[in-house]
Amino acid sequence: MSSKREMPLHHTLELKVPFKTEQQAVIATRVLSPDPILKPQDFQIDYSSEKNVMLVQFRSIDDRVLRVGVSSVIDSIKTVVEAMDELS
Amino acid sequence: MVNLNTIPPKNNRNYYIALGLEGSANKLGVGIVKHPLLPKHFNSDLSYDCEAEMLSNIRDTYVTPPGEGFLPRDTARHHRNWCVRLIKQALAEANIKDPALDLDVICFTRGPGMGAPLHSVVIAARTCSLLWDVPLVGVNHCIGHIEMGREITKAKNPVVLYVSGGNTQVIAYSEKRYRIFGETLDIAIGNCLDRFARTLKIPNEPSPGYNIEQLAEKAPHKDNLVELPYTVKGMDLSMSGILASIDLLAKDLFKGNKKNKTLFDKKTGEQRVTVEDLCYSLQENLFAMLVEITERAMAHVNSNQVLIVGGVGCNVRLQEMMAQMCKDRANGQVHATDNRFCIDNGVMIAQAGLLEYRMGGIVKEFSETIVTQKFRTDEVYAAWRD
Repeated sequence: MSSKREMPLHHTLELKVPFKTEQQAVIATRVLSPDPILKPQDFQIDYSSEKNVMLVQFRSIDDRVLRVGVSSVIDSIKTVVEAMDELS
Repeated sequence: MVNLNTIPPKNNRNYYIALGLEGSANKLGVGIVKHPLLPKHFNSDLSYDCEAEMLSNIRDTYVTPPGEGFLPRDTARHHRNWCVRLIKQALAEANIKDPALDLDVICFTRGPGMGAPLHSVVIAARTCSLLWDVPLVGVNHCIGHIEMGREITKAKNPVVLYVSGGNTQVIAYSEKRYRIFGETLDIAIGNCLDRFARTLKIPNEPSPGYNIEQLAEKAPHKDNLVELPYTVKGMDLSMSGILASIDLLAKDLFKGNKKNKTLFDKKTGEQRVTVEDLCYSLQENLFAMLVEITERAMAHVNSNQVLIVGGVGCNVRLQEMMAQMCKDRANGQVHATDNRFCIDNGVMIAQAGLLEYRMGGIVKEFSETIVTQKFRTDEVYAAWRD
């Protein structure tokens, strides 16, 4: 964890999810990124992908909001990965 | 006149295939629909007659224990756990080996409904769309019910009574939109029945409303209706007061509160009303309200057809009462479907989505696929209707 970002959102977490291919990482990024955050002043997510790795950066006002937000994103990632495994 | 064949089917086929994903409440549905490409659809008003073929229609319901309702978070978890498995099963049942080649479009419910369950399904829809390179169409849940009902019953231009766990609306089509004539001012009829089922602690399997219907049928004192508030306000209804008052009666009944003169005889203290009687009276009262506003809507738009859609539409007693009202009007007809199509399902989303797709409406960027809890029926431009 690091905390050198914009002032109020001190609590941060970086998630790196490796996929089998670069294309899969791009798909996952595109699937997850459109949804708006309910309280953008409390919580922010940035999605990006580099080669076969999806990078998710979370910033939040406290660790509770961070934990809830991260676990909900991980739940969504599970669906994406399952769909890739089972349906392609 | 409308041309439903604006977009030709993929790979020069003579048919369209759509996958529909539904998950706005506690049912997760996956359905696959096939429309033949027909010359009669080039210039006509035949959106109710697509000669649709249901290749698969699978549903998995998240059932909670007696006395408990379904919560958004748990329902979303259920949908996430089953979504991909159900899609796989539906494709196998429809004998689709290569969805990237065979599917024209993937349709999903964009709203209205519970946010978290809707979101967990759209994640799967987006992933499939990118994996197979198949376009997406977002569907309004209510429009799904209406279009499925029209296709099944072949009702050309009916007044639609949409009654389910989350919605109660009387709808009529006019000028490219399904217009809401009347609706509930507070809770939906299905919600009212579900919550009463929770008070009674009766099972939620197969559905709370069905169990109430079964109890009501066995009511021993059908000639002696328990008086409940009857709240029709113009074209609208209110049901929260009815729920509160029947809940109170049920609690007094369970406690054996002899002071309640409706339930117990004034002099002898003998029980006059059973749980079954309460179910019966609740249904009669609620359905009479629905019949009243539906009849008024029919008079307004000069229609003699009613189409009942939504989960509560399976209720045989409601269909009976509606049929009686229609019989009294000139040549009136009631159209209803059975539980395969009444209760939330994937094919209805595929049906409505495929109509939209055939008119050229597809999602151009993923920002259009963001689900929404509030999405009114009249927000949708019904391009496929004349």
